[in-house]
Amino acid sequence: MADVLLEVKNLKQYFNEGKPSEVRAIDDISFSINRGETFGLVGESGCGKSTTGRTIIRLYDATDGEVLFDGVNVQDKKSKSANKEFNRKMQMIFQDPYASLNPRMKVMDIIAEGIDVHGLAKSRKERRDRVIQLLETVGLNREHAERYPHEFSGGQRQRIGIARALAVDPEFIIADEPISALDVSIQAQVVNLLKELQEERGLTYLFIAHDLSMVKYISDRIGVMYFGKLVEMAPAEELYRNPMHAYTKSLLSAIPLPDPRYERTRVRTPYNPKDHQYGAGDTVQFREIAPEHFVLCSDKEFEEMKAAHTQNA
Amino acid sequence: MTKILQVKDLELSFHTFAGEVKAIRGVNFDLNKGETLAIVGESGSGKSVTTKSIMRLLPESSSEFKNGEILFNGKDLTKLPEQEMQKIRGKDISMIFQDPMTSLNPTMTIGKQVMEPILKHQKVSKAKARKVAIELLAMVGIPNAENRYKMYPHQFSGGQRQRIVIATALACNPQILIADEPTTALDVTIQAQILELMKDIQKKIDTSIIFITHDLGVVANVADRVAVMYGGKIVEIGTVDEIFYNPQHPYTWGLLSSMPSMDVNEEKLYAIPGTPPDLLFPPKGDAFALRSEYALQIDMEEPPPFFQVSETHYAATWLLHPQAPQVEPPAAIIERMRTFPGSRYYEATGGRA
Repeated sequence: MADVLLEVKNLKQYFNEGKPSEVRAIDDISFSINRGETFGLVGESGCGKSTTGRTIIRLYDATDGEVLFDGVNVQDKKSKSANKEFNRKMQMIFQDPYASLNPRMKVMDIIAEGIDVHGLAKSRKERRDRVIQLLETVGLNREHAERYPHEFSGGQRQRIGIARALAVDPEFIIADEPISALDVSIQAQVVNLLKELQEERGLTYLFIAHDLSMVKYISDRIGVMYFGKLVEMAPAEELYRNPMHAYTKSLLSAIPLPDPRYERTRVRTPYNPKDHQYGAGDTVQFREIAPEHFVLCSDKEFEEMKAAHTQNA
Repeated sequence: MTKILQVKDLELSFHTFAGEVKAIRGVNFDLNKGETLAIVGESGSGKSVTTKSIMRLLPESSSEFKNGEILFNGKDLTKLPEQEMQKIRGKDISMIFQDPMTSLNPTMTIGKQVMEPILKHQKVSKAKARKVAIELLAMVGIPNAENRYKMYPHQFSGGQRQRIVIATALACNPQILIADEPTTALDVTIQAQILELMKDIQKKIDTSIIFITHDLGVVANVADRVAVMYGGKIVEIGTVDEIFYNPQHPYTWGLLSSMPSMDVNEEKLYAIPGTPPDLLFPPKGDAFALRSEYALQIDMEEPPPFFQVSETHYAATWLLHPQAPQVEPPAAIIERMRTFPGSRYYEATGGRA
């Protein structure tokens, strides 16, 4: 059995609960992430993927459900020191490298903030050495430590964001669309860096994105979200070869590929939630149609998909 | 094919406190009637500046045309007085911007914004303009246009706002539509809808489109021809098939290789090393040479001229010089070239046809 690092159980996050403006940003989702793997979370804007990341790291308090990190419930009240320890183990890389770095702080202090908070450096020299080492790990150099964020390009800033997350030796990193704001050639650099770091340090990632081709490249397993629900979850390769849920199919068919001949014949299949035609008696739930491959479906769909899957495989 | 727009030897600089930034350093291209020309390149390559200079949207206080001309209907747009330019902007040439959240005025109803170019450029009554605006909104797929016409931008989703921006741009049946990363801010599903809409409209009103993007998937989807820009210059230009299946410039190779492919499982993604050149101090030779493993000695000394690959395909790289050594492109590129008749790696049987 794989070593589970993070387990999300029936997580719900409602905003404005009980009011007419209630928004069910996350509506009962469950998944788990094994130690050392990358779990990709995809879906369109507003589907709740970022909220999921933020609830896991406790930027929001969950409405219901549990997030277990190393067997401990993240949402429980903890002592100050336990909380601090938790914050050290879980870090986040944000989408916008322009907004997520304080423009009035030097790179040295941005990266060292976590080191200071957790008292990881005993002397000024050690603090400095650690920062320089981190800068070199992410492909920057020591001269950069004394500069301000505005002196860097988008790709370099994202590297600073990664160095900051690594500064406290985390086990788990939530990367919320870390490459969407970057150019194609720079995206590849950052993705390669994340992969290298994972191999070196045995990190576990939750990689949130809407760029499906990059997600497939970096992830071991992928979850697809639609309107606050996880509609499909499978190993990356399996999801692309054998998408089962209509929404996943539609999402995959919408990606333009750098191949003009293919593009001329590509047909997009739009997704309409009404096509499911769920009746009153149907129980729509997350079911395993093949090993490791889960789909949100009704009893009837479950049988159909199972049949279709055996045919494809 | 009629040439509707010709850009010749365009050079443009920005004057900044740090000195002169040579943002465009000799750009040449033609735009044919009814075609879609995609301009690709990374941030700072000059793709947006090129189109903004066509529209003359750059601040006159800090930017300066150094050389060259932009010919449209026999007029040189670089020399036109502002008043003349106002008659062209939004009428003959119009533009769609990247961010639909900021390119609409939040204090005006969308109907008013779509009507604005009609009232400005055409001698029609308000009632007529209103009718046209509603038709346009319906054409770009805003449901219930008659009622939604009175609504404000914040009442629409991102995809719908981009549709409204497109309706505004199309209001006067422009001959040229410039789209500056129109789908970058949108989701894949919405992006697909907007691209379909643009292609659809192009067929209907026979306009030419200049499409700026850094997403090669989008390029493959919309473009007839592609110009690849790097460091303020076009480094390769050709039909979409030529650029994707028979690329010649090392930068184009790099761009194409850094996209992860859906079918193949690469261990490591190809990444172009380094960063784009600083145009305050543009490099002497080939701007890409410092990041290219294929750079020759001469690349450091002299900028390469355009070498002709086919009637429609040109690339500025010394590798195409008859005396240059034969180099092997990256494996992924050879894979692409195998399928292209006319390339040196073409295999009649290996292609997918």
